[in-house]
Formats: sequence, C-alpha cells, structure tokens
Amino acid sequence: MLNTLTQAFALITTWEVIIAILAASVYGLVIGSLPGLSATMATALLVPVTFYLSPIAAIATIVAASTMAIFAGDIPGALLRIPGTPASAAYADEAYAMTRKGEAELALGAGVWFSAVGGIAGTLSLMILAPPLAEIALSFSTFEYFWLAFLGLMCATLVARSSPVKAIASMFIGLLVACIGIENPGGVPRFTFGITDLFGGIEPIPALVGVFAVAQVMRAMLTPEPPPIPRRKFGSIMAGQWKLTKKYNRQMTRGNIVGIIIGVLPGAGADMAAWVSYAMSKRFSKEPEKFGTGHVEGVVEAGASNNASIASGWVPSLLFGIPGDTIAAIAIGVLYMKGLNPGPTLFTEKASSMYAIYLMFIIANIIMIPLGIVMIRLASNVLRAPRSTVMPVIMLCCAVGSFAIGNNIFGVVIVATFGVIGYVMEENGYPVAAMVLGIVMGTMIEQSFVTSLIKSDGSVLPFFERPIAAILAAMAIGALIWPVLVWVWRKLKRAPVPANSAP
Amino acid sequence: MRLPDRVTGLFLVGLGAAAAYGGWQLPPVPGQPVGPNVFPLVIGTGLALCGLAIAFGIGRSFEEEEHLIPVEGGQPPPPTGKLYGLRVLLPPALLLFYVAVAERLGFILTAATIVYVTSTALGARWKVALPLALLAPIGIHLIFSKLLRVPLPPGVLPMPW
Repeated sequence: MLNTLTQAFALITTWEVIIAILAASVYGLVIGSLPGLSATMATALLVPVTFYLSPIAAIATIVAASTMAIFAGDIPGALLRIPGTPASAAYADEAYAMTRKGEAELALGAGVWFSAVGGIAGTLSLMILAPPLAEIALSFSTFEYFWLAFLGLMCATLVARSSPVKAIASMFIGLLVACIGIENPGGVPRFTFGITDLFGGIEPIPALVGVFAVAQVMRAMLTPEPPPIPRRKFGSIMAGQWKLTKKYNRQMTRGNIVGIIIGVLPGAGADMAAWVSYAMSKRFSKEPEKFGTGHVEGVVEAGASNNASIASGWVPSLLFGIPGDTIAAIAIGVLYMKGLNPGPTLFTEKASSMYAIYLMFIIANIIMIPLGIVMIRLASNVLRAPRSTVMPVIMLCCAVGSFAIGNNIFGVVIVATFGVIGYVMEENGYPVAAMVLGIVMGTMIEQSFVTSLIKSDGSVLPFFERPIAAILAAMAIGALIWPVLVWVWRKLKRAPVPANSAP
Repeated sequence: MRLPDRVTGLFLVGLGAAAAYGGWQLPPVPGQPVGPNVFPLVIGTGLALCGLAIAFGIGRSFEEEEHLIPVEGGQPPPPTGKLYGLRVLLPPALLLFYVAVAERLGFILTAATIVYVTSTALGARWKVALPLALLAPIGIHLIFSKLLRVPLPPGVLPMPW
C-alpha cells in the first residue's frame, strides 16, 4: 500500500497537475460564487479543457473545480441571499441573516472551514468505507429509491418556516413542473401545450435561477435599499472557527456522515445532503427557535455535509460507473475518455490512480482554505457596492447563464417565468425551496414509483416488505404525519379538561 | 402582491383539478398498471386538497411571523404611486426583451439596455448607470463568449474577439 501511495504522490506532483489544480480551483471559486452558475455547469464547461490534459490532470481539474464551486456557492448566499449553487440553497437564508446581523465573517468562515473539514473527512472515511458502502447502495432497488426521494421531499417541508400545508403545496407545484415534457412512462408529451421547447421538460437550474435570483431582483425593485454596510476591514475569517468546531463537534460529525451516505446513494447529491443535514440540524438542535434568524448551527452541519457528499459521490462512480450526482456523471465521462474505465478492477489494476484521486480531493480541500479566504475578501466588495450596480450584472448573469445551460434561448423565458412564480409564492408564504426540490426530484420519484409499481404488478405491499424500504417508509410517513400529530396535540392541550372527567 | 389565503388556496384547487384532469386525459400504456397519467393525477389531487386546506385556514397556526432584522437608518420609504407596484415586473420583462431582440440586435446592445434600465430603476444616476451599461456587457461577453465558449449573438455590434 505504501508503494502505491508513493506512486500516487509521484503522479500528482507534476507541474501540469499542480497548475491544473490551482487554475481549476480559482475557476471553480469564481463560477461557484457567480449566482446562476452551478457547480455542475462549472464542471461541464471544463470538459473541453480536459481534452488537452493528461488523465490525472484532467481528473484533478474536475475534482478541484467541483469542490471549490460547492463551497463558493455559500459566498453570494451569505452576502446577497442568492445561493451560487443549489447545494447552498438550504442555508442561504440562514447565512444571509447572519450577515445582516453583522456576522458575515463568521458565516463565511464557517462556510470555508466546515466545507474543508467536511471534504477531508469525507475523503478519509471513504478510503476505508468505500467498498462496503457502495455494496449497500447497489443492493437498493427502486422501492428504496422511491422512499429516499420521498424522504428528501418531506425534508423540504420540515425545514420550511411557513405552514406545513403551504410547504407541501409548494412541493406539489414543483412535482407538477417536473411532469412537463416527454420523459414519462408513456413517452408522450405531457403538459407541453404544443410548445416543442417544453418537450425536454423544465431544467432545474433555470428554474432555480428564476426563483432565487430574478425574484430577488424583483424584490429589490420595491424595497428601499438597505443602508450600505459600514466601511470596515473585513475581520479575520477564521476567527472563532475552532471554537465553533468544539461547540458543534457533534453537528459537524453528523453532517459529515449524512453527507457521505447521501453522496454514495446515486441520484442524491450535494443539494439533498445540504437539505437533509439542515433539517436534521434543526430537528435535533437544542435551540431550534434560533433557526432562520441567523444561527450558525445549521450552516455548520449543512456546509460540512454538502462538501462531504462531493467526495463520496465518486464512490459508486469509480466502483460501478453509477454516478452519485450530476458532477460525478460528468467525471465518469472524463474517466472513460482518459482510459480509466470505472469498475472494481480500477482498485486493483490502477490502484495508484485511485489513490491519486483521493489525494487530489484532500489537496483541493486543504488549499480551499487559503484560496477561499482570498475569494471571500474579494467578494466582500459586493457588500459595499450599491445595489444599482450589482443587480444589473446579476440580471445579465441570469440571462446568459440560463442560455448557456442548453444553448437555448427558451431557458431565458423559463428564468423569467420562474422569477414571477417565485416572487408571488414567497410574498404569500409559500416556501420556494420546497418547489425547487420538487422540480429536482420529480423525475426520479416518478421513475422509481412507476418502475416499482410495474415490478409489483400494481401492488403497494412490496413498498414496505424489504427491510431498508420499510425503515425509509416509516421515516417518510412519520415526516408526513408529524405536522398533523403536532396540530392534534396542540388542540388537545388547548381544549379545557373538564373536572372529574376521569373515571 | 400579497393575496388572502382564500384566494391562493382556491387557485391551487383550480390548478390541482386542471392537472388531475390533464393527467386523466393522457393515454395509459397498454399492459402496464401505471402510465404517464398516474403521477399528474396523484399530484393534482394532492395539490387540490392542500389548496382546500389553505383556503379553510388549516395549518395557519404553524406560520411563524418573519423575524425581520430592523434596518437602521435606511432610506425613506419609496413613493407609492398608482403604477409604482408594476416596477416589480421590470426584471422578467427585461428578460423577455432579451429573448425577443438579442438575436437581431446582438448581445452587447441588448445587454447594455438591460443594465441601463435595471440600474436606473434601482436609483442609479446616469453617471453610474452609463459606464456600467458600457462595461458590464463587454465584461460578461469576455467571460462567457471568449472563456466559456458560450455562443452569444453578435447582431449589429460584434465583438472583435
């Protein structure tokens, strides 16, 4: 093993790889922090560049760019309440509330520190746990996938601060949006109204840009500009992080573990890891009432979780060629292109390349701290820039970014439409995040639901028969009926107990 | 745009009913227990039920008051004329403007218009808005077209790179 590790070191300590990691890191930080450009898009746009690189350097650019972009998404989330990547959406409100309270350094520092810790912990534990974890995920059938997706959706309603009924309604709207297109069990055009551009369905990213970015510009049109943050030197970014690490040690560890598990499961990536971890953080917190008001606990747990999932998303990809998330799906393409065909033999025949990938993850997460601090310091100028100069540039990024996703001008129409939908929903207390999750998970949940029903010949019993499916089902149904139980309990508590009613 | 819960709830009932009806109309797959019609039916029904619950105020007791952090010493509240509220529709309208004219006018001119209008609508003076409208489109064009190779329409003012 030591020999393999030495070989791996030799593979990554070439100038080409070092420059590739550094350049891709800066690129990932910039793209990730630009609202409307996701980590997936950053990675996808890198693929043409990897044509010109050696296999290890090519993989290094993908690893570095995706790792940095997931963290960098936190920066505009905290400074502007516009998550740079979907994976930061879960706690963008929380981080922004911290900035409004004057705790921007703490929020951004927690972002960079716990992202790095999460990424490293994820990679380290994966080196030990990868094979058995991947085997468990591989034994999952569509029944488990259905319940997992269902549970993910319920998490969105649990974290919502509005009425659970409105959150569930938002989720249904998202699922309805996901119904659009011809990607359905019958392959027929569904809710396309004869518009050919809708045949491919509605991509989650333009929808997300619409509800998070355009709606934000719309709100800016009516609200008075907040006073500029006083000119001051941005304090130490890392100050207080060690204290936070000790205080929220349990939350950090839980975030890492949840991130790893969710990352390994195909189809559930960094976004879902962040949502689930944020929900868990709130549920198990000693101070749940502080969530949403600028409380760092959820940022710690979800920030660690989404970066941990990036590393673990590679496990099923490397072992079996099954992508853990969209970034890993792109990585698989690059692996094939470079002759590192995914499969169990990769671990035996090209063990040094495998270790090189792990080492790259660790290096990317270590250099994330200094590069991230520089990026935060540069990005903090955004805070001092007047809204009338930032918002027009964001508008342009929305238009061009949504066009770039599919090189299709219809993407811009989607962004505009979802801007209006997001604005109206938020104004009326409907959490837009639940809708976004519905859009992202819709296709997966329908496919697993329909495939399961076809397998069981229309019977619902097999949904509960397999042990893991039964556990997931119990958790999902529990999350669904929890608000009802609380409502009943509140009613009972409020109802006057008649005297001598006991027998 | 704050509407009473009764209005949004009834809208959702209508949307859910329409979705369920639309799903019901879709042809089933022969020999398969579930087809493309099942999912919209389930979602439509769920949405309509949620809409009814919202219209009747069920679950409202869960709604938390938004803990807004008070802004200290902000600008005076904006004038509220009759048409003031319509400003909110400016961003989506500008995006649709981009869709309509970008191909003919080209990216630079369309983007400059969008930047200038958005900037002045948000209160910038022309001394700020004009240079921004000149520089921002060129910068974005450089990043997207030159570095990321996103094809942006050249129109009447193509960039030299």
